[in-house]
Amino acid sequence: MMRKLFIVSTLLFWIAVAGFWAADVWLPEPMGEGTSATAAGKHYTLAELAGHDQADDCWMAIDGVVYDFSAYLPQHPAAPAVMLAWCGKEASQAFHTKTKGRPHSNYASQLLPQYRLGLLRGE
Amino acid sequence: MNKGPGVQWRRRFTTLALTLILPLAVVWWAFPEGLTPWRSAAIVTAWAGTALLVVNLLLMVRQPHLARLLGGLEPAYLWHHRSGMAAYLLLLSHPLTLAVDGWFEAPHRAWEILAPWAQSWPVWLGWLALVLLMFGLATTFALRLPYRRWRGFHFALGLGVVFGLAHVYVLLGEVILLLLLIVLALLALGWRLIASDLGVASLPYRVSQVTRQVPGMIEATLTPAATALAVTPGQFVLVAFGDGTHFRGCGEYHPFTVSGVAEDGTISLAIKSLGPCSQHIQAMEPGVRVRLQGPFGTFLQESAMAPQLWVAGGIGITPFIAALRAQPRTRHTTLIYLFRRAADAAFLEELTDYANNDPHFILHAVETGKMPADFPHLLQQVDELAQHEVNICGPAPMVNALLPHLGKSGVDPEMIHYERFDFR
Ligand SMILES: Cc1cc2nc3c(=O)[nH]c(=O)nc-3n(C[C@H](O)[C@H](O)[C@H](O)COP(=O)(O)OP(=O)(O)OC[C@H]3O[C@@H](n4cnc5c(N)ncnc54)[C@H](O)[C@@H]3O)c2cc1C
Repeated sequence: MMRKLFIVSTLLFWIAVAGFWAADVWLPEPMGEGTSATAAGKHYTLAELAGHDQADDCWMAIDGVVYDFSAYLPQHPAAPAVMLAWCGKEASQAFHTKTKGRPHSNYASQLLPQYRLGLLRGE
Repeated sequence: MNKGPGVQWRRRFTTLALTLILPLAVVWWAFPEGLTPWRSAAIVTAWAGTALLVVNLLLMVRQPHLARLLGGLEPAYLWHHRSGMAAYLLLLSHPLTLAVDGWFEAPHRAWEILAPWAQSWPVWLGWLALVLLMFGLATTFALRLPYRRWRGFHFALGLGVVFGLAHVYVLLGEVILLLLLIVLALLALGWRLIASDLGVASLPYRVSQVTRQVPGMIEATLTPAATALAVTPGQFVLVAFGDGTHFRGCGEYHPFTVSGVAEDGTISLAIKSLGPCSQHIQAMEPGVRVRLQGPFGTFLQESAMAPQLWVAGGIGITPFIAALRAQPRTRHTTLIYLFRRAADAAFLEELTDYANNDPHFILHAVETGKMPADFPHLLQQVDELAQHEVNICGPAPMVNALLPHLGKSGVDPEMIHYERFDFR
């Protein structure tokens, strides 16, 4: 029973992963996104991002958008160290996996746009 | 007084509760607010899966008190398997639900979330953990490996759990609940690897006598060098044989049911050659140092007032011979003893003696040859079978073959107990 469950679930998992990959390869890149992205601001690379990893100079990338949180850092409700650890980095996972009792509610998402610098350049 | 079923029910409930309490508490604590449904699902599956992995490690700890709480090592291992599988399913869906969430944002986002090269090392840790779990489980399920290699690959699973916890830690930092999970996991792994497998929690014994009755089996009597374990017939111990004058032990702990328990603390073990280590043990000599852990198991522990049917297959005779040696039967007991060849049947003479002298004890000794036993026929010889409490001990295939016949004969499932000489 367990053995069957393992085989079936593992196969389904890889089929799903392959499906997402195939969708990425075959689906056309949406036109709108590219143009609006350029309009929305400058592009930054991960290397540029990495240069801004200090408390008073703190950039982060979340979901492909680069933010400058230097001004926000002192206001962060949790210990600033939690956030400081992500300065200069791609921090989408950290931002999205916050949980109950922790700050990233809709409110946090509403705060984001005012710190926006531009887009992260895909490699 | 029939306390068997009530106790069993309570144990089952305890095990289920212990398995679920941690994951439920963790999910309740970590339940996300204000996120999209798919992102919430991803967080819930991650936390529940991680907590179940920790429960899974706790269920592999071989500690007599913990085992007693769970009703024995066998049920503990059953729940070890179940929690492990449930954790695996949850953790498989974790990246997928994240990807689905990305998909609704923009279809290309989904693959970006999954593709490790688009991500950073905290995510790689997660992938590494998942792949290790996959590999470890594949070796458990997909092949029938020799025990030692199987156990080696099983360590991949432990490593997978460690990487999984590291993945959560680097993403979330010092979250109190996560720290608790990490401490529990390290305690469980540490206990199992240091206290159990290396034998820190064991007691010293010495082999005082070795007898050879039938080919391919010895009986060793062990005398405590310090404190004696409080073992009762039906229970088993984990034993590592050390060195003697000529004998070199294989240095690993193996489970053996006691075949005799004396008042002075000595215990006997009947050991059949079934694989590399038990074959090696056949050359045992008096004076060999031994380390023992236990006792474990609840077999023959809480029997009802009902008449007893015992079924032993081959070396599965050990718990029954221990019970018969301990005291005369106080209630009606029928033993069906199955073996391949009479020349290899351990304790046959001794059992025949008991049958001749104890009016409560009936023996059906059955030579099966290479054929599977004819259970319908054998069970017909037991009067009022449905009133009996049934205790079965032997190789897993025999136990599995017998169970359906007992069901058909109307024996209450709560009144059937068995011990399979197989741990994985
Ligand atoms: C609860 C219980 C009670 C047992 N009582 C007896 C007994 O009274 N007399 C007797 O002769 N045999 C008994 N056995 C079986 C005995 O433990 C195995 O035959 C022995 O461990 C085989 O080891 P091996 O290296 O010779 O063989 P292998 O071929 O390596 O192993 C054969 C099987 O033995 C089990 N096993 C092996 N090593 C271990 C280990 N370190 N820990 C746990 N399981 C292991 C595994 O199920 C494995 O598949 C009992 C087993 C269990 C689970």
